[in-house]
This record gives sequence, C-alpha cells and structure tokens, in this order.
Amino acid sequence: MNVITRKRGLAGLALLGAAGLLLAGCSAAPTASSTAKSVDFKGCAVSDEGSWQDKSFNEAAYEGLMKAKTDLGITTADAESNSTEDFDPNLAQMVSAKCDLTFAVGFNLIDPVNAAAAANPDFNFVTIDGSVTDAAKTPNLKAINYSMAQSSYLAGYLAAAYSTSKVIGTYGGLDIPAVTEFMEGFYYGAKAYEKETGTAVKVLGAPVGGGGTFTDPGKSFGDTEGAKTISAGQIADGADVIFPVAGGLFSATAEAIKESGKPVVFIGVDKNIAVTSPEYKDLVLTSVEKRMTQAVYDVIDDTIKNGFSSKAYLGTLENDGTDLSDFGAFDSKVSDEIKDKLKTLKAGIIDGSIDPLK
Amino acid sequence: MSNPENTGLLVPLDEEIPAPSRSNELMREILGGGVVRTLLALVVGFVVGAILIIATNEDVLASAGYFFSRPSDLLTAAWNAVSTGYGALFRGSIYDTTATTFAEGIRPLTETLRLASPLIAAGLGIALSFRVGLFNIGGGGQLLVGAAFAGFVSFQWHLPWGIHLIVAIIFGILGAALWGAIVGFLKARTGANEVIVTIMLNYIAVSLVSFLMRTPILQAPDASGNPKTPAPDATAQLPLLLGDGFALHLGFVLVVAATVLYWWLMERSTIGYRFRAVGLNANAAKTAGINVGRIYILAMAASAAFVGLAGVNQALGRNTGFTPTIDSGIGFDAITVALLGGSTAGGVFLAGLLFGAMKAGSPAMQVESISPEVLGVVQGVIVLFIAAPPLIRAIFRLPKPATNSLIKQWWRARFTRGQVKK
Repeated sequence: MNVITRKRGLAGLALLGAAGLLLAGCSAAPTASSTAKSVDFKGCAVSDEGSWQDKSFNEAAYEGLMKAKTDLGITTADAESNSTEDFDPNLAQMVSAKCDLTFAVGFNLIDPVNAAAAANPDFNFVTIDGSVTDAAKTPNLKAINYSMAQSSYLAGYLAAAYSTSKVIGTYGGLDIPAVTEFMEGFYYGAKAYEKETGTAVKVLGAPVGGGGTFTDPGKSFGDTEGAKTISAGQIADGADVIFPVAGGLFSATAEAIKESGKPVVFIGVDKNIAVTSPEYKDLVLTSVEKRMTQAVYDVIDDTIKNGFSSKAYLGTLENDGTDLSDFGAFDSKVSDEIKDKLKTLKAGIIDGSIDPLK
Repeated sequence: MSNPENTGLLVPLDEEIPAPSRSNELMREILGGGVVRTLLALVVGFVVGAILIIATNEDVLASAGYFFSRPSDLLTAAWNAVSTGYGALFRGSIYDTTATTFAEGIRPLTETLRLASPLIAAGLGIALSFRVGLFNIGGGGQLLVGAAFAGFVSFQWHLPWGIHLIVAIIFGILGAALWGAIVGFLKARTGANEVIVTIMLNYIAVSLVSFLMRTPILQAPDASGNPKTPAPDATAQLPLLLGDGFALHLGFVLVVAATVLYWWLMERSTIGYRFRAVGLNANAAKTAGINVGRIYILAMAASAAFVGLAGVNQALGRNTGFTPTIDSGIGFDAITVALLGGSTAGGVFLAGLLFGAMKAGSPAMQVESISPEVLGVVQGVIVLFIAAPPLIRAIFRLPKPATNSLIKQWWRARFTRGQVKK
C-alpha cells in the first residue's frame, strides 16, 4: 500500500465516521420533559468486597436500590468496596453525601457499619446479613437477615432425591455464618431424604461433623481457580449435584461440570441463576433465592412512609424472603411426587414441626 | 540486570571501565524523565479521565443523540459530568465545601494524608530499589510481612505504654527487611532475577500470612475459620494526631521522618553513594571496588524496610484486627508512586500525596456515579507517559533525543566523573 492510497483510505474512514456521527446526532432535541415523581429521600449502599454486578449477592441488593429509584423516585448514591480497607471510607462518604438510609451489604461490614451508626446518630443504616452489636447505642441501625437454612433444607432434599449417584457436594466462599447456614441446611435436607427412604446419601464439603470445604479465605468469593478445583474434585468423587454457596463462583462450578462431561447439575444461590445467567440454565437444577432486592425495596418504601424503624427483618419461607426458584429446564425431570414432598416440607418448616438445622 | 557476572566479587584486571549494562541505562532514563514530562503526564492522565467520564455519562449519551439540533446540550452535559466528577474528587480529598463546620470540611484532607502515608513509605522503598538498579515488585508481600510482624507484637506481647509501640514498629520494619534481604541474597549469590523472585515471594507471603492467621499465632479467637487478627493492644496503636473526629494518626509523622531519612540516605550518606554508583553502572562500581553483591542485599533489605513501615502503618493505625487484604494494592501502587516521583525523596512524597488524594476522593466520585476505575485509568496513563518513552526507545533501539533535560544534565555532571567519554 503506497502512501497515497493509505491516505485516501484514512480519509474515507474519516468521512464514514463523520457521516455516522451526523446520522447519529440528527434526531430532534427533546422538549422539556415532565419531571418524574420524586420524593426527598436519598438511599445509599456500600458493597461487600466485589462489584455491584456480581450476578449474585451484591447485585441483588443493588437492584432493590435501583428499583426504589425508578419506582419511588428517590435519589441514590452507592460505592463499591474493592477490599476490606474500603469499608470505613465508603461509609463515611455516605454520611458526607447526607444519605437518609445507607445499606451496608454483607456480613463483612458488621463492625464498620456498627461503628458508623454509633458515630453518626443523625443518619440511619441497615446492615444486610449483619447484626446490631449494641442496640441501645445504635437505635439508627436495622439488621436484615435470612433464615437461609430453611430453603437450603429444601434444596438438600431435592438434591438427594434428584441425584442418581446419591453423592452430592457443597462448598462455601468464606467460613462465616451467612454462608455456613446454607451448607448446613443443605446437609440436613439431604439427610432427611436418607432417613425417609433408607438410601444412604453422601454430602461432601458440608461443615457438619468436620470443617467443611471453603475456597481460599484470602481470595474468598473471588477464588475462581479454587472453586473450580473444589468442584472438579467433588465431581471426581461421584457428586452429581453441587451447591456452591459462594456468590458469583457458580460460574467456576459450571465450568468444572462442562469440562467433566458428566451429567452433573448445580444449585444456585441468592438469585434465580437460570434466569440471571441464562447461559447456565441447562446446568441449574434450581436456586436458593435470598430475596434481598425485595427486602431493600420494602425497607426504603417503609422508611419513606412510616419513618425509620430499627426492628430487625428476617426473611423466611413464610414471608417469601427466601424460597426455591422454579426448576426451569429441569421441571420435567423432577417428579410430581418430589414436588409435593417439597411442599409438605415447606409447610412443616413454616409451622415449626421441622427444624432445618437438625 | 539478570547478568550473573554483575554480581561477582572479583575485580577485573584490565583497568578500562566497562560500559554500563542496558538495564542500568534504562533505569537511569526512566528516573531522569524531567519535571516537565511528569507534569504533562499528569495533565494527560486527567484529560483521559475526563474523556472517560464524559463518554460514560448518561446525560451526555442522551444528548449526543440530538447533537446537531441542539449542540449546547451535549457540551453542557459533558461539562457538568467532568466538573461534578473532579469536583467530587476535590471534595473527597481536600476540602468538603458542603460541610457546615471547618473541622468537617477539612476532614477529607486529613484522610488524604492518612491514605497517602503508606503509599509514600512503600513508594520510598520501591524508589530506593530503582536507584540501585533493581525492580522491586515485591511491595505487596513485604508490606504484608511487615504488617504481620508488627501485628504479632501488638496483640501477642503486652508491654508498657510507649515501649510497646516502638517495639512493634521496629519488629514490623525488621520483618519486612528480612523478607526483602532474601531477594538481595538470591540475586547476589545465584544471579536470580529480582523481578521474578519478588513476584513469587508475594504469593508466598500472602499464603504464609493467611496460614498464620488461621493458627493461634495471628488469629483472633472469635474469627472461626477465617484469617483475621485480633485488634492491636491500645498501647501499640498509632495514636491519633487530631483527636477522635479524625482518623489521621502518628503514622503520617513517621512517614515524614522516613522521607527525610531517605533523602539523607540517598543523597548524603556513604552507603547511599554506593547504592547510586551500582545503580548507575554496576560494572563500573565493581571495577571501582564496590562489593556489588553486598550492596544488592543491603539495598533490598533497606527497600523492604521502607515498605515495612507502610505495613506497620496499616497494622497499627487501627483499632480493629486485619485480614490478608490489608495490602489493598499499596505494594503495587508504590511502584507507580516511585516512578512518578522520579525516585527522589521530595518527588515520592508529592506523588504519594497525589495518589492518597485519589484514594480519599474515590468514594466521593462513586457517590456521583463515576466508576472508581476512572481513577485507575488516570494513574495508569500517568505511568505510561512517564515510563513508556524510554522503554519504547530501549525496546526498538531508537536513538536518544538530542536534547538532554536539565535533570539529566545535572545527573551526568555529578555522576559521570571518571567515565570514559563515548
């Protein structure tokens, strides 16, 4: 290509670009639009380690905030935490931004949010998966928690019933109560199936009668390699249903399943993974939903209407704060008998006759 | 610098002074970049950041659709986006203009100083290694080891007021120095490339400290299976400088002292003269009778000691326990700080303040819906413009520009005595 043709080529490209710009910029200017309904309320959120777009835990809470923004017309502010060192500055910033209500999303933020609430009595905070250390000192802090053992119990029963090898596996992203609760419920649900049918079911990785299996604590929910290795190991040990309680790491499990070439499925957590990550819908048996989106929205709505209340919120099967998703692509492979049994178990957990941690 | 002959202890018999190796030259070029280029790099970095802010702003995108029927909308939206973004950076890092009291308003500046402290300390450490012609990429690991040593003393030993803090600081610095000395030793004895060794030691440090944080040595009793340390004893915490309302602690004062020490060490002391001589031309230094291997060990230990001060700052500048993520990228950012600061004491101090300000302002920018990644790009562009021209010349063997910057001339005038004129 000689210099002249190259110049011409470039000129042509430039012309094309300019034409594109012209076309793109040609539509009519909007007339002054009517302002949407809005309320004088600022809702804010600080993420746990990781981004809001993690397709799991953080995202579920963030969507609640965004829903309140569009439906209720509140203003919002948010900050992602890249490491535990970011929690305090991010929370302090929400106070500077004059947030009416700040959500601290995640167990790891318990200490920072309790400190922030104590230091800023004029501002209200919500700790998701957290707890209030000293309720007398922080009447401006509300805790949102979930009985995840309840729906995980159902998932464990379902997994045991669905499994053909009668070996199922689970692992966690971090050894914290907010994670182990899922794994324990899952274990006891599977054992309930064992007791009922007399078929031995082996549950790999559960923190019951042993330490449980977790990813590298240094990387926790970001340990893609570790999650893949654990999943591959459980598949090699015969597991054909895996329950990764590790935020966005389910994709690592999905990869391990695909590489194994075996008919293994997994159960999602927090959101309905078959819907939010449709590329894995053929691998997702069901998901144990932690409906934070609704809870965040409800808390904001309630605070606007009735003022702030520090009364703790507990998501259960009963109030639909948590539940199993539908079976998606596996609907035909789960027998009506099992579906009915799950309904009975659910009713049993709601009325208290079944303890999901026993 | 991977040339094992560099590290030999024998003095060649011929009296002619060997030419400096290519890596020596490269390092000198990066360091002698000139103040003008640094300032230009800063400007370019913030301009690129502004473009990113504009390109990702929703109002701008919306008004771009009808640019030709009302161009003022786009320009207004773009201006608004950039001024809100950088306005938030200012409010988050220097003075909060929305605050009602002066104390509240000045808080961001104290946060900048607090967040800059470990960056400056670690930056000085990396800068020291640069001046000796070594690339210390192991800041993360050295910081973690320093924090672990300081942390261990701070909650496992219970000493009286004053003494406890001093002992914890000394242990943290010595621990990191020991970790760094390993690298110098391996390079001096085996010619192992320090870039690779430091990177690998980062992994070892993270795994080792995470492991110890799960044993009673470093673990808090209430941490169940997680790697988390107990809080340091009150006697070992770096005291707050401005009272309860501000998080700024004594660490900043230590870092100012470290900056002065670095200046004295590199510009005035005998050992600093040897450091620089090895950095300018290791071959010539060897001919001149300097034990290059010993200098490598000392330099890596000293480099890591400064980084260790950053670890001390992180571990003791708090009243809660810490996790293996305590480094939070400081060890790596320190490389940028050292490059930006031209590896001089004053330069690193100012560069550290700038990066500390970006850290402090990042949450405020996020609140204005600007991705924190924008600041990462700004930092990256700055380094690219400072480090890339000489790097690119070295890679493609391009001739050097004809004119020398003032700083380069000054360097040459001071340090090329006795060299064979080419």
